[in-house]
Amino acid sequence: MAIECLVLGAGQEVGKSCVVVTINGKRIMFDCGMHMGYDDHRRYPDFSLISKSRDFDHSLDCVIITHFHLDHVGALPYFTEVCGYNGPIYMTYPTKALAPLMLEDFRKVLVDRRGEEEQFTSLHISQCMQKVIAIDLKQTLQVDDDLQIRAYYAGHVLGAAMFYAKVGESAMVYTGDYNMTPDRHLGAAQIDRLELDLLITESTYATTIRDSKYAREREFLKAVHECVAGGGKVLIPTFALGRAQELCILLDDYWERMNLKVPIYFSAGLTIQANMYYKILISWTSQKIKETYATRNAFDFKHVHNFDRSLINAPGPCVLFATPGMISGGFSLEVFKQWAPCEMNLITLPGYCVAGTVGHKLMSGKPTKIVLDKDTQIDVRCQIHQLSFSPHTDSKGIMDLARFLSPKNVILVHGEKPKMVSLKERIQSELRIPCYLPANCDTVHIPSTTYVKAHASNAFIRSCLNPNFRFLKRSKEENSDQVLRNTNSTAPLQKKHDIQFGYCCAAQLDNLEETGNRDGALSHSDKCSCLQLLFKELSTYFSGVNIQDLGEHLQVESFQVSVCLKDNCPYRIIDSPRKEAATIFFCCSWSAADEKLAREIISAIERFNLSDNLPCKNSK
Amino acid sequence: MEHHLLHICLQSLKDNNNPPSLQALASLRSLIINPNTSDSTIYSILETLTHSLQLSTNSLTTHHHILKLLTDLASHRTHLSSQILNSIHSSSLLFTESTQIAAESLTSLASFSNSDQNKIGDQLYISLCFASTSASARLRLLRNGERLGIGTHMLFTVFLGFTKDPYPYVRKASLDGLLGLCKSCDLFEDISVTEGCYCRAIELLQDNEHSVRSAAIRVVCEWGQMLIAAKEGNDKIAQSNQVFVQICSMVRDMSVEVRVEAFNALGKIKLVSEDILLQTISKKVLAILKEKNSHGQCTAERFEILASSYAGAFMHGLEDEFHEVRKSACNSLRIHTILYAEFARQSLSLLMDMLNDDSMAVRLEALEALHHMATFDCLNVQEIHMHMFLGSLLDSCDLIRSTARKIFKLVKLPDLNLFRLSIHGLLQNLERYSKDEADVFSVLFFMGRSHGNFAAHIVKEVSQEIEPVLEGQLGLDSARVAAFLVLAISAPLSQNQNGQIIPPRLFSYAVTLLGRISCALSEVVDQDTLLAYLSQCSRSSTLGAEVEVESLLPVVDDVVLTRTKKDVNNPVEVPMLQTGNENSKVQPVTSCELEYLATSIVECQADELDEVMKSVNLILARVRDAWLLVQSRCTNVALRALRDCKRELAMLTSTSLESSGAMAFTLQYLQVMKLFAKIWEHAVWKIRSNETGGLEYLFGKLDMRLRELRYRYIGFSKEEELYVLELIAVACMLRLSKVEISCSPTTMKKLSAIISHIEILNDKGSIEPSNILMDAKQTVHEIESSKAGISCSLFVITKLDDFFTLKQFSLCSRVRHINAELNVPGNDSENPLHFVSGLPVAIPLDITLYNVSSENRFWLTMRMSEESTQFVFLDLNILGGCNEVKKFTFMAPFYRTPKACSFSLWISIGMECALEDCHILKHCGGPRRDLVYLFQEKEVHFVLGSEGVKGFLIFHMPRILIAFSLCFSRSWIHQLIIDLCFYLIIIAMVRA
Repeated sequence: MAIECLVLGAGQEVGKSCVVVTINGKRIMFDCGMHMGYDDHRRYPDFSLISKSRDFDHSLDCVIITHFHLDHVGALPYFTEVCGYNGPIYMTYPTKALAPLMLEDFRKVLVDRRGEEEQFTSLHISQCMQKVIAIDLKQTLQVDDDLQIRAYYAGHVLGAAMFYAKVGESAMVYTGDYNMTPDRHLGAAQIDRLELDLLITESTYATTIRDSKYAREREFLKAVHECVAGGGKVLIPTFALGRAQELCILLDDYWERMNLKVPIYFSAGLTIQANMYYKILISWTSQKIKETYATRNAFDFKHVHNFDRSLINAPGPCVLFATPGMISGGFSLEVFKQWAPCEMNLITLPGYCVAGTVGHKLMSGKPTKIVLDKDTQIDVRCQIHQLSFSPHTDSKGIMDLARFLSPKNVILVHGEKPKMVSLKERIQSELRIPCYLPANCDTVHIPSTTYVKAHASNAFIRSCLNPNFRFLKRSKEENSDQVLRNTNSTAPLQKKHDIQFGYCCAAQLDNLEETGNRDGALSHSDKCSCLQLLFKELSTYFSGVNIQDLGEHLQVESFQVSVCLKDNCPYRIIDSPRKEAATIFFCCSWSAADEKLAREIISAIERFNLSDNLPCKNSK
Repeated sequence: MEHHLLHICLQSLKDNNNPPSLQALASLRSLIINPNTSDSTIYSILETLTHSLQLSTNSLTTHHHILKLLTDLASHRTHLSSQILNSIHSSSLLFTESTQIAAESLTSLASFSNSDQNKIGDQLYISLCFASTSASARLRLLRNGERLGIGTHMLFTVFLGFTKDPYPYVRKASLDGLLGLCKSCDLFEDISVTEGCYCRAIELLQDNEHSVRSAAIRVVCEWGQMLIAAKEGNDKIAQSNQVFVQICSMVRDMSVEVRVEAFNALGKIKLVSEDILLQTISKKVLAILKEKNSHGQCTAERFEILASSYAGAFMHGLEDEFHEVRKSACNSLRIHTILYAEFARQSLSLLMDMLNDDSMAVRLEALEALHHMATFDCLNVQEIHMHMFLGSLLDSCDLIRSTARKIFKLVKLPDLNLFRLSIHGLLQNLERYSKDEADVFSVLFFMGRSHGNFAAHIVKEVSQEIEPVLEGQLGLDSARVAAFLVLAISAPLSQNQNGQIIPPRLFSYAVTLLGRISCALSEVVDQDTLLAYLSQCSRSSTLGAEVEVESLLPVVDDVVLTRTKKDVNNPVEVPMLQTGNENSKVQPVTSCELEYLATSIVECQADELDEVMKSVNLILARVRDAWLLVQSRCTNVALRALRDCKRELAMLTSTSLESSGAMAFTLQYLQVMKLFAKIWEHAVWKIRSNETGGLEYLFGKLDMRLRELRYRYIGFSKEEELYVLELIAVACMLRLSKVEISCSPTTMKKLSAIISHIEILNDKGSIEPSNILMDAKQTVHEIESSKAGISCSLFVITKLDDFFTLKQFSLCSRVRHINAELNVPGNDSENPLHFVSGLPVAIPLDITLYNVSSENRFWLTMRMSEESTQFVFLDLNILGGCNEVKKFTFMAPFYRTPKACSFSLWISIGMECALEDCHILKHCGGPRRDLVYLFQEKEVHFVLGSEGVKGFLIFHMPRILIAFSLCFSRSWIHQLIIDLCFYLIIIAMVRA
């Protein structure tokens, strides 16, 4: 069996994540995103590669969505409603709650602002969401008889999850986007140590190693504090979800500690609604918020008030969160126009702004004038502070996750090719794991674990239940017993030797039945004691020969003897003629050099009658 | 009954054909666990059980039951446990299938008795370990290995073996066992044994089970340290590095528990190379280290892989989602910061960032780390840090602020700008939290002392502010000006102050604030020295000679220096460093300076106490003079003298608890003497002998006061205690001498008890008992021997007069006063508490107890009228132990609320008199001994709440109605009334 991985999107690029994986005959589509950079057919993944006949219901077993970002969920309504997929779709509860908001918002922007032809309607979205089955963290869901999936916390955004899928003995993890360092409102990704054949991970920051975010937080707080202390106003343009909450928690906490009284405002809009979702979905946030939840919901910000338009020109310092994040229009632009000309004020910019927006202009050099249109010019005299918080893991995080999971193969998606190549090198050299970076529409074949069913005898299982006393110490093998008894001996005791001869000899053991062992099988203690008895007998018989008791077997030169537990030992020449009376078999092996010695010992063993000396008899 | 039961059970056990019935076993067990079962029965049970254990015909379940019973027996009769152990031991059971049960019984037996009794042989232990197929039995055997008296070597082997067990809990138990071994023994002289164990633990760092991983980290750390200790020279550092790196690889584990364990372990490894440490605070593989390594052994690629495994370990810890991990990371980072300057510099930035953490515990830990660095003089603050650092001075949490200030006391600032910023931060702190004033002043003093030049600069800059605003009007009220003055007066004490001169008039300004400043600097310098210093400095200007200041300096400086240098409240950990390492630059802190500081503070307090004691003893001397007046029949004059004493006492002020104890005692003593004087007038001089009632009242009062004198003070010397007892004895004799009042046996009993107590005290020492006591003793003896009724005439009054001369009494020991304060917040006659009659009411009480110990038993008494007093026991153990001053809020329940519109309760706290006779009091559940009340009763007012009335009606109405309905036989009336009840209940629920 093999795992087959078909990359429909986000192969060597960022955008429209979509990977179809076939494990042991089960086909799963991970994510179904759209590319925000294209307006043509390249916007959506090429679904026809899944099935020529476009019979998706039969060719896919399920669709799994990791989080609500459009490059992971954007194509879902199109896929279900236009392409006609009707099978199960899995996502976490927060994703299910927030994805329709994002989709609807996007649809509106597309239709209202750009006047484009809509790809899907509101009805499509709601119908699509009806097919979604919500899943909880660490909940194992049996999709059908063979396929089971499980979600793990991924950080990144509210409700983001990594998905584990297992069919038969083959297992894999698809990470989606994740973050290995926690931020103020979301925790770090968390996963169990799993036996994996394949790990598909994002690699947005394949080469970046990020420094501590504390330094950035400190700079941000310092800038804001100094601005408001000087009587200035702070404009923080943000996106509705994620960053706004994180920064707000940071500020609210700082305000609380420093006992500051300057008001913090939230402009009305999606942010308020999003805060409500955060409040409901508290179990998906970071540990700190979960802990304080019992006393106070961290999203009930103490110092935050709703912003009223009349407050724009109110005197005195304040902090304002306003959408949209890149000052591309809307309320943040309106406030920007008012506040930018004053030196006391401060504008903080998010890490990434699309070219053409005011944000982008502000980021690229410090302009003194911004021309909005031919009538409006804005003098920019205020201070500008740039934020660079990212909810994606850095290359160290990817390496740490791969090291922790130690899968048999790694596939990188969701990144830029040159950086991915260097990460691939590192994974292969440092972790010694084969790594692939397929382009879009490529297929990777990976051999998966196959298990052969083998029958184990009872004796084998019994011996497995007890630990095996053998330790790896550097390169040589050494027995711990021996370490204690004979600490001076430095020679390795178990050499690799060629076993040339083997023989299974029988010894008499009369009173086994009396000790309550009616089925003839030897219990472990019996086995031990037999070997010990043999040891005693042999050492009296061959006094002067160095016989060593190594727990599982006895050893004289190259000659080894141990209790034989097999029913049909190939080295046993005769089947015991006295099956009724208990006989114990000893498996012996020796190399040619000690042939003579071996023969002597074997003949001695066969003469012994161990029963006289069993300890239980002594106690009677 | 017992024998009957025993007989039946034993019969059932002895019946070899049938297994014993469960019922028989159960009754056998009941016999075993019953503490009243006679020993003979127990022995016969033991014998029978032991015997039947040996029988091979028993089924497995029977064995199981018998073993269980034996275990029970051992747990209830511990003296038999070794015998039982032997019998289990010797039974053949251990070699059959029931080994698992046997193992369990053995281990539980082992937990009942001490270790030398329950030794089982190594052989048996091994075979049990290997024979038991159940993981739980193995687990128990491994955990109890030491208790079962197994030799260390054998245990080591077994533990090491079972680290390969398929069950994770067994693996964990064996790792824990290995950890225990490393602490208990130094038997493993052979390094390869240690190495083997260490390597095995390293393998288990990759275990799938997180509990095993964290146990493995502990073992790697401890055994790793043994390895380190065994090596010498460069090998030692190499080994240390290796262990450190191994543990570093675990800090990215997904389990919180493992991460916390890893960081705890990182803090334990003392000696790590600087380059490794530097790498742990950078996520990127450092280029310098690569270069360094280029002439090393391993290839560049190999090195990079290695370095990346521990790169940024501490960074990750500090960034962790869980505050436990962050705290632990801060703590272990602290250990390493003091070793290398460069590492200290770099980790400082990280620690400063932690001051912005959202968890208070982490912020505090980070501050502690900074304090640690400052103590070892490796805290080099940069301007970039100042925003966060000063921010912690404004933190809303007191603890954070005070810890931050502690650092500022020690910190060395490189330039004026930073100094200015710090002073500004401290002033802001002062502005916002005025209660921090004393501490801020003392920090300013320290800072000025260590940065004399900068301080002088700042003072110069702000001199405009300090100068009088209007003619002659100083703006000294403002804390800000006071702060600058503190800075100014501290500057000349600095060693590096050169050229900058503080205007002498500032010192004279400071004199006007002497009280405020000396209070803040009380730990550094006392008021007199400070005054001397200030006046010297201010005078020096008029003479125009700066030299004299210098001449005074050594005196003050000496005091200041010795007391400040290591002014650290928490004892500083001095890591044990090997001298061989050149890189370590640690100056160990000597503790003798610390000691000096502590004793000087105590001395300072003692001075104040001495003063109080002196004046108290003067007053006591006058009491004796007053008594002479009483004996010469001038009672009125004596009483006036006593009143004067009292007034004088009231004028003394006390600041410490100890001196207030002495004062309270003196006051009490004065009151007692006043009562004695009055009684003497009645009883001895018979001036107003007709007023018997009055005398009875006086005796009652005297008894109470004396009891208080005896029980409410602790820390008496023997003489003082004897004196108090003597007073009590005199009071008893006085009482006995008045035939017409009482000649009760109670008083007699009390007197003899006191006398015997005095004798006991005297036995120990050689203090001569006074005449009156000898006399009293003799008299009591006579009365007891005669038994012919008590003839009180024996106490002849003249005798009393002769013998009882008040000795010169002086208080010399540190008497402490058991006292209490009680407050009902917000309650007075205007604002009563609400209650519902018939239902209990809770009374919120703010209670403060002074000098109580856990032997004292306190009762809250709530008196509504003379007859009904309710007692509530204040369990100090539950309320959280005892301190010198103990403050808590207590919700006292009062149960018997009357059927009235309003009522008042008188609440007090009483202490049981431990040495008084036990006598049954009429109150059930109340105190068994007499109570000494710790303060005047407080009145608490209650009024029937209007809400309460309604609630009561709704609550009780259904019951009344149902009772009413039973009087009618018509069913429709029933129905109607039951419907009504439902409505009422619904109303009640809605209201609730």
